[in-house]
Amino acid sequence: MMQVSGDVQIIKEDNVTHSFCGLACVGWMYQKIKDSFFLILGTHTCAHFLQNALGMMIFAKPRFGIALMEEGDLSKNEPTLEEIIREIKADHNPSVIFLLSSCTPEVMKVDFKGLAHHLSTPDVPVLFVPASGLVYNFTQAEDSVLHALVPFCPQAPAGKKSVVFLGSVNDATADDLRAEAEELGIHVAGFLPESRFDKMPAIGPDTVLAPIQPYLSRVAVKLERERGARVLHSLFPFGPDGSRVFWEDLAREFGITIDLRDREKAAWEKIRSQTDLLKGKKVFLTADTMMELPLGRFLKSAGADVIECSSAYINKKFHARELEALAGVRVVEQPNFHRQLEDVKRLQPDLIVTSLMTANPFAGHGFVVKWSMEFMLMPIHSWSGVIPLANLFVSPLHRRSKLPAFDKEVWLEGVMPSAE
Amino acid sequence: MRLAFWLYEGTALHGISRVTNSMKGVHTVYHAPQGDDYITATYSMLERTPDFPGLSISVVRGRDLAQGVSRLPSTLQQVDHHYHPDLTVIAPSCSTALLQEDLHQLAAHSGLPPEKILVYALNPFRVSENEAADGLFTELVKRYAAPHEKTALPSVNLLGFTSLGFHLRANLTSLRRMLQTLGITVNVVAPWGAGIEDLRKLPAAWLNIAPYREIGLTAAEYLAETFAMPAIYEAPIGVEPTLAWLRSVIENLNRTGAERGVPPITLPKLSAFSLDGLSAPSGVPWFARTADMESFSNKRAFVFGDATHTVAIVKFLRDELGMKIIGAGTYMERHADWVRKELEGYLPGALVVTDRFQDVAKIIDDEMPDLVCGTQMERHSCRKLDVPCMVICPPTHIENHLLGYYPFFGFDGSDVIADRVYLSCKLGLEKHLIDFFGDAGLEYEENGVAASPEPESFTGNGHIEPAVEVEKEAVALTEDGEMKWSDDAETMLKKVPFFVRKKVRKNTDTFARSIGESIVTVEVFRKAKESLGG
Repeated sequence: MMQVSGDVQIIKEDNVTHSFCGLACVGWMYQKIKDSFFLILGTHTCAHFLQNALGMMIFAKPRFGIALMEEGDLSKNEPTLEEIIREIKADHNPSVIFLLSSCTPEVMKVDFKGLAHHLSTPDVPVLFVPASGLVYNFTQAEDSVLHALVPFCPQAPAGKKSVVFLGSVNDATADDLRAEAEELGIHVAGFLPESRFDKMPAIGPDTVLAPIQPYLSRVAVKLERERGARVLHSLFPFGPDGSRVFWEDLAREFGITIDLRDREKAAWEKIRSQTDLLKGKKVFLTADTMMELPLGRFLKSAGADVIECSSAYINKKFHARELEALAGVRVVEQPNFHRQLEDVKRLQPDLIVTSLMTANPFAGHGFVVKWSMEFMLMPIHSWSGVIPLANLFVSPLHRRSKLPAFDKEVWLEGVMPSAE
Repeated sequence: MRLAFWLYEGTALHGISRVTNSMKGVHTVYHAPQGDDYITATYSMLERTPDFPGLSISVVRGRDLAQGVSRLPSTLQQVDHHYHPDLTVIAPSCSTALLQEDLHQLAAHSGLPPEKILVYALNPFRVSENEAADGLFTELVKRYAAPHEKTALPSVNLLGFTSLGFHLRANLTSLRRMLQTLGITVNVVAPWGAGIEDLRKLPAAWLNIAPYREIGLTAAEYLAETFAMPAIYEAPIGVEPTLAWLRSVIENLNRTGAERGVPPITLPKLSAFSLDGLSAPSGVPWFARTADMESFSNKRAFVFGDATHTVAIVKFLRDELGMKIIGAGTYMERHADWVRKELEGYLPGALVVTDRFQDVAKIIDDEMPDLVCGTQMERHSCRKLDVPCMVICPPTHIENHLLGYYPFFGFDGSDVIADRVYLSCKLGLEKHLIDFFGDAGLEYEENGVAASPEPESFTGNGHIEPAVEVEKEAVALTEDGEMKWSDDAETMLKKVPFFVRKKVRKNTDTFARSIGESIVTVEVFRKAKESLGG
């Protein structure tokens, strides 16, 4: 058990959990960076994962693919990707190719850095992105992608203070954040990542990096170290509480003092019917997307009783403010799912935020569930995201209360072959 | 090494878990990195399992590898402690297979009794989904099937029915209905819903029914060899094959019945097989003879899928609906010889054997068939080309796990397939009207098709913006090197029936290119029409 500050304790377990590996990030990153190609050096397993779990069917010319390692490739010293890179360039003409590692070549100790360097040309760089499930869970490989993009962020000269938002969001959310900052008098230098490879933001000693996703600690540290940029340590901009603290803290970095308490109050007022419903409700967050800490903190502020907030990775420094705000809540890093299942049965939460693997089975056990993945695909940032965020939590509760009574013995009969 | 975007067959792990997820009291532990857990989501989301699938990962992290630590023994203990399975199947993943660990030894370290463990250490680089599923199922049958007194009355086992199978539940219901009509008991269905005790009593049945070429066949062969159990391997898909199947079931059971002094089963009046017990068991024979279905004689069909369904659907389309087969193929290379043999005399050319969807898409693009029967991937390829397509086989998709009763097996199944063919293809008399009058006021269809993006997966229920995909599709079509068309030529093209418009455009493009034109004008279009007979 490690001590953070105050009475926040993080319980660490053995990570026997249900979640995806880092390759999952391809699902949103290829859509975000529009002139990119994501090439995974991997096996049938990686390909089957992408097509099944992320549901990425091929419509026309997908901007991601697997360099498929078959049995014959295992005995070769280094994979030869020249032909595949040629094919990708001919078909897609990308500005950048991200080369993602996966478990099998990692076990084979493929020299990815050397490989990427060798395949790079001045026109089309090939960037190594560590993403293998041996090390990275779910969203964490976005951190690796941004890491790889750092050399392509121009050096910003000292002198003009400006903010770079850290984390991929859709264009509408990005516009909102930009407009909000400008209204506060904060100069916006851009987003890492921008939606085009040649438009990555300039970063330098007078850049304030404002992380807007909670799973990007490594790239933040790298930019702090290499460019002397300052990293904003605040709450993440989710919910009325998170949005107020985030914008106030960011403004302070620019010497601007603002008081957003009224705005926060108004935002809470807008979601009063939702928070009325959440008040006192027992909520259990199993680990999945690594958005759990800020989500748990919002729920706590909204009056819910967060009985467990688990996450696959917790960084004491990067998540410090969220952890402080979660004081009193049971926080678990790398939880054990079997233990969670027993606790859930014992504690009978009113709502469980959980992965695609476990959502329906929990529902089958009579619980109300929310897919954790939905929080990544909905615009829940800042002020404009307050209502969608609150709705995500209350919608399953509403829905359950509207459906007729359900007799498990009758309506689940024979639905699952392995059930007794 | 090759660039892959999509696979017809899943991994060995997928095959293994399809079998164990079907079974009661059986758990699978993958010795694998975290990401292999995606498999669990295929069951919990596609089959909407109301309980936790019996799948756990003995997580392999980079740090464990560096320190030489294996979590397999402790994971096995945890699984045993929490779920008390009768059997735990242990399997390696791609990456852990390379480590060449001794899984037997590691499993033994868990302290679990050997009879509760099965290490299924196949080579995931060599074996894929169906072979792994068939292999594991056979292994389980070999391990547990024991000599057993035969049931007093005629009974059968239904083998090869497996989690995530294509229209599996409905097929099972259809077979059960027919067997019930004949007064035949089902001894065991496996692996779907079977426990270890069920596997033990497999030899009590009089006959094995293993209709899937891909899974269950090897186990039935083993039971035939070891326990002298007769087996039927045909799939009852189509009216005539179903009749033949019924006769074969009766004949086999009566042979055993005669030895055992049990009175023979007779085939009842066929209306006994209908849903209301009063009607023809299938509408297909009459449907095929109706006047408007005459237009089917000229419909050109292309079929691509697994072994079982490719064979059955080619025969159904030609023999029972009187369609023209212009080609067929399979992604099941292991069974290609069987498919070839079964389809002798049905195909105008060689059977296509490939696991690259691009090869299949190219054939469809070149041939522009009137109907394609394929997998979800062919459905996508066809959407781009506006070619009618129906899905006939795995890999299954969320749309293949519907609530209603849509079997492919038996008389009921024949009606379902015929309905789908009918709805997929452009219609008889309506087609003449449209041909004669041009668009016949049906213009809206063209936009309608493009504007109805379908849910692509269980995670894609509106979250991964379909609009983006549609847009991409449109862009890609113009990137394909299409010719420019003058406005007048476009107007003229509009007068062509909407459902052949894409085909006409494509043929005209090819024609224009062949005569060295760079833009399709009214004149070029007219020349093309003359030359192509359109």
